[in-house]
Amino acid sequence: MAYLSISKVTKQFGDTVVVDNFNLDIEKGEFVSFLGPSGCGKTTTLRMVAGFELPTSGQIFLDGVDITDKSPNQRNVGMIFQSYALFPNMTVEQNIGFGLTVRKLEKDVIKQRVDEMVRLIHLEKHAHKYPYQLSGGQQQRVSLARALANRPQVLLLDEPLSALDAKIRVSLRSEIRAIQKSLGITAIFVTHDQEEALSISDRIVVMNVGEMEQVGTPFEIYNFPKTRFVANFVGSLNTAEAQVLDPANGLLTMDGIQLQTHEGIIGKKKGDKVTFAIRPERFSFVAEGKKENLLEGTVINITFLGSVVRIQMQIGNSTFNMDTFNRPSLELPKIGEKCQVTCSTKAVLILEG
Amino acid sequence: MAQTAITPQGKIYPPTNWKTWLGVAPFFIFAILFLFLPSLRLFTASFTDPEGNFTLNNIIQLFSEKYIVDAYKLSIQISAVTALGGGILGFLLAYSVTVGGLPKSLRSILITFSGVASNFAGVPLAFAFVATIGRQGFMTHILRDYFGMDIYEAGFNLYSFAGLSLVYMYFQFPLMVLIMAPALDGLKKEWREAAENLGASTAQYWLKVAMPVLLPSILGAMILLFGNAFGAYATAYALTGGRIGVVTIQIGAQIRGDVLYNPGLGYAMAIGMVVIMAISLAGYSWLQAKTERWLK
Repeated sequence: MAYLSISKVTKQFGDTVVVDNFNLDIEKGEFVSFLGPSGCGKTTTLRMVAGFELPTSGQIFLDGVDITDKSPNQRNVGMIFQSYALFPNMTVEQNIGFGLTVRKLEKDVIKQRVDEMVRLIHLEKHAHKYPYQLSGGQQQRVSLARALANRPQVLLLDEPLSALDAKIRVSLRSEIRAIQKSLGITAIFVTHDQEEALSISDRIVVMNVGEMEQVGTPFEIYNFPKTRFVANFVGSLNTAEAQVLDPANGLLTMDGIQLQTHEGIIGKKKGDKVTFAIRPERFSFVAEGKKENLLEGTVINITFLGSVVRIQMQIGNSTFNMDTFNRPSLELPKIGEKCQVTCSTKAVLILEG
Repeated sequence: MAQTAITPQGKIYPPTNWKTWLGVAPFFIFAILFLFLPSLRLFTASFTDPEGNFTLNNIIQLFSEKYIVDAYKLSIQISAVTALGGGILGFLLAYSVTVGGLPKSLRSILITFSGVASNFAGVPLAFAFVATIGRQGFMTHILRDYFGMDIYEAGFNLYSFAGLSLVYMYFQFPLMVLIMAPALDGLKKEWREAAENLGASTAQYWLKVAMPVLLPSILGAMILLFGNAFGAYATAYALTGGRIGVVTIQIGAQIRGDVLYNPGLGYAMAIGMVVIMAISLAGYSWLQAKTERWLK
């Protein structure tokens, strides 16, 4: 059995199913992100692991022990909240030591552990300050140290970076990941920010309306999205409808233009409609000698996005975006001009659902 | 020429226009006419004898005359008892309708009632209690005739210390509800969850997190209740007709009394009240500032 096992968990509020038949096994030391839009059930699932919500059905096992019905203070699970949730009447040290104090550990043990945690988050100079005297980033680091001081079996992070500004967010997520790796602690990170999830996680669970859409490494989720939802939610994507020409050889046709996929199209027959997707950065201008997946279109718009230039084209009856790196020697077509672009067979993804 | 002000945080404020002051002018005029000038008159008159000569005798009598010292003691006792009783009752009610989880409709009913009741004092309040639990009161009759309980036979007397305290409680606990409900709303759900998550029991959460956060507000509110009762005059006078000699009644007797007539002493007693009220309000402000600092 996995270290943390969420088995057939469903949560209903009245008639509304918020989490539907959720199954996930997490290994010890793994960093897993729950990614999805607001209301997809990711926080509810996390709160069920923490014990703040009871599943309507299903079970949760931690290190082989069924913790489904245990109260939050009987689970050795640490949680970090979006709003930091530091106790305003306590200093940094007292906040970090709170969990150890209520568990009635010896004073010198508490002192030693608190000092260790304060060093871990590099707030030695702020140890005697109250939360209102700290910045948002510092408060969230204290919150992290407070959760870790109890040496929890699992660390739960409920959108911990959402309230912070962009720069702090990037540096703090790296810090969280580094600390998690150095301690080897199992962590679940809830976020609606795809970049955050992609950059920090060992595995990502993409959720939508209470269901798991796809579970995989960041590489798999980004490059091989299985459903239209995942493809659209993670990164930007061109999607269009096509007809299957030759399922065995993975051949499609869209408005008379032929597209070749890398593998055969399973479960479809000739003439079936499918949705396919191509990431904008997978397109390139046609090099000489290229024969497959040649697409001719008309340039509609060109947008500079800093390091990337986005070229919008009309291909057949669909609009496609192509991203190319911005460099001084870049030669761009003009708006209204016709141009040919191409992509590899691996870039053409057939989507389910 | 007025200059733009830049705060240490870098915020820029435009120069203050004299027209801006017009908006607050009525308040200042009102305060000068009906607060500062009367206070000044009170202060100077407390050092004046009936013939208009300077004297320290009025101030000395505040500490030497037994009936004056007793009046202060009585006022402090009634104020303390009703602040404590009203404070506890008000806190429990506010708790029930905020974090206690009672229906929201009950909360709006209680808050509306508290808004009205906290301002219901003086002659109408005294009459309401005389009409309900006075010797011939409606409830007194019902209890005696239908339940065989004669509360006056049992020792209760509306026109006593206990009776006056009971009447004061009617406007004390609603004031506590009004002050404590927002303070209890300020307790974040996440604090409780964080405490539980760290292994704390409900009792540990209340003892180590919620009560320390609330305590300045509770104590501050009780100080306000104390001041509220300490300054009450009409209710006590209308109910007891001067039989219970709280400070406010004694001041009235000195300023417009037939038997006791020494306005200078009355003013000196009023100065004593101002000092006690000022200490109470300073304590309230200090405790409020402490809570606000934590919660900002």
